[in-house]
Amino acid sequence: MTVSHAHLRRRRQIATLAKHLVINFFVLIILLPLAWVFLLSIKSIPDAYTGALWPEQFDFTHYAYVLEKIETLPRNLWNSVYVTLATVFITSLCAVLGGYALVHLELPGRRLVLFGLIASLYFPVRVVSLISIFEIQRTLGLINTTSGLILPYVTLNLAISILIMRSIFEQIPRELIDAARIDGCGPWRTLVSVTLPLITNGLVVVLIVNFVTAWGEYLLAATLTNDQIVRTLPVVLASAHGGMGQWAWPRIAAVYVIVIAPGILVFALAQKFFFQGLLEGALKA
Amino acid sequence: MATLTSKPKLQALPYRPPAVLRNLTNWVFMVPALFFFLGYMVYPILRVLFISFTNYKYLSTEPAQWVGLQNYVDALQDPVMYAGLWRATQFTLMFLPGTIIIPLLLAVLVDRVQHRGLATFYRIIILIPAVIPGPMIFVLWKWLYNFQIGPINYILVEVLHLFTPQTAPQWLGGTPLTLPAVAIFEVWWGLGYHTMFFLAGLAAIPKELYEAARIDGANEWKLLLHVTIPRLRPVLAVLVVLRFGSAMAVIDEFLIFGGFNRASPTYTWTVYMYDLAFKIGEWLQGYAAAIGWIGAMAMMVVVAGLLYVFRPQD
Repeated sequence: MTVSHAHLRRRRQIATLAKHLVINFFVLIILLPLAWVFLLSIKSIPDAYTGALWPEQFDFTHYAYVLEKIETLPRNLWNSVYVTLATVFITSLCAVLGGYALVHLELPGRRLVLFGLIASLYFPVRVVSLISIFEIQRTLGLINTTSGLILPYVTLNLAISILIMRSIFEQIPRELIDAARIDGCGPWRTLVSVTLPLITNGLVVVLIVNFVTAWGEYLLAATLTNDQIVRTLPVVLASAHGGMGQWAWPRIAAVYVIVIAPGILVFALAQKFFFQGLLEGALKA
Repeated sequence: MATLTSKPKLQALPYRPPAVLRNLTNWVFMVPALFFFLGYMVYPILRVLFISFTNYKYLSTEPAQWVGLQNYVDALQDPVMYAGLWRATQFTLMFLPGTIIIPLLLAVLVDRVQHRGLATFYRIIILIPAVIPGPMIFVLWKWLYNFQIGPINYILVEVLHLFTPQTAPQWLGGTPLTLPAVAIFEVWWGLGYHTMFFLAGLAAIPKELYEAARIDGANEWKLLLHVTIPRLRPVLAVLVVLRFGSAMAVIDEFLIFGGFNRASPTYTWTVYMYDLAFKIGEWLQGYAAAIGWIGAMAMMVVVAGLLYVFRPQD
């Protein structure tokens, strides 16, 4: 009996250790590429060409350099901030209103809307629609403008955002809505006063998903803009060829860190709400 | 005695519009979403369908003419289109297993972590790639694979000594390794979100099922095969179908990795469509539209098949 118990305990300990080793292996796989690019951004320029992982000599000036010396970069940064925030606001507004209507309002034809939203997740909308999006933008005079990117950007995650909000609104008990109606609340009052405070976690998921997508979008921006001054950061970064002059490797790495930091920061700040939103219903969309 | 006759009092009721009319006003809430959905998704797709029946050349001054199915006939005889579809299929077959199996196993492991703080730490780390925009993932990995400064070959040659500088893998530049290279970082990118997807699915499985199976003598692998995976079937279905679609329609990654090099394995039907529409000659958008729709329809056939295979069995 003693031997048996000790044996079982040991096997369980080994299993636990193996579990954590495997998980930590994946944690390393995830963190190492990001660590590498960060280290590259604080290496001296000669160091960058040795291929060695750890810097021989640190150089923290690359961040200031890129913001001062690369002519359009501050403007590109502002372009990205502006387009992303506008997209996130508009898409989230559409998603909240749409999700609410689909769940808690009598909506003739709602089944058709749902079908359209779900079908758009399976159809390669972005690729097929690109030719016509270009045409629409040209007709509206929005080619080669920063603001013009906002309209097509909203659609990037519109369907999934509405479906997420719909799933979140379904978590709100019908009785709550009925009670509000009996008290004389109309649909708008019910939305703002009753349901909005309850959907915070789901809204965070929608905000983060849209922020990440809009912040890093490449295809539409590369297609719909030509001049460097109106472009967003990802297009500038993707078209930069590392190794030469102002685009020396440590400098391009610094730009990269500037581009990915906001998404990670936003996620770090909101991760508690993000996880709760995911588990509450976002993943049931 | 006189009899008093009282006249019944008529009371006007407040006007109430018919229920149908009241319900229709609820569509006001859908207007913002419908504006974007119809204006920038539905209309463009239908417009491109229309364009695919014309000889529209964007840069040409001649007006487009209706040519019926000519673009489709030409496309169906175009070896570049078939090569493009085949390349996209190859990529999908490389990408799909890894992006399903690895997150599933990782989710099962993380789900078993008892220490709450540690579990939270793992989930946060695992989800970091998911909050980095896709194009930034592509740029990062293009550097990681770089022959000159990339750490991957540095590790393979200088640290592990698996290769010499002369025999080191060529990951980029349209070599045969380019598609696997893209598939690897796509799995890396999706690892976090997919793991969370599976964790949510695992959280919904009643613990009693596991207890009952253990009492019957099932080991961990049997639990995985007979309890976990069947219960995760709906999650698997959604993930497989959605990821099939995104994999077949990859374009940003291939543009950033391979540009418009026709010999590169990254020159898929999506890149070909883009090349025709915005780069080649007078921007042959009519023909490009046909290519786009053929690719989309080919995908839809497979999606329909997958949805049928994964249909609810109850």
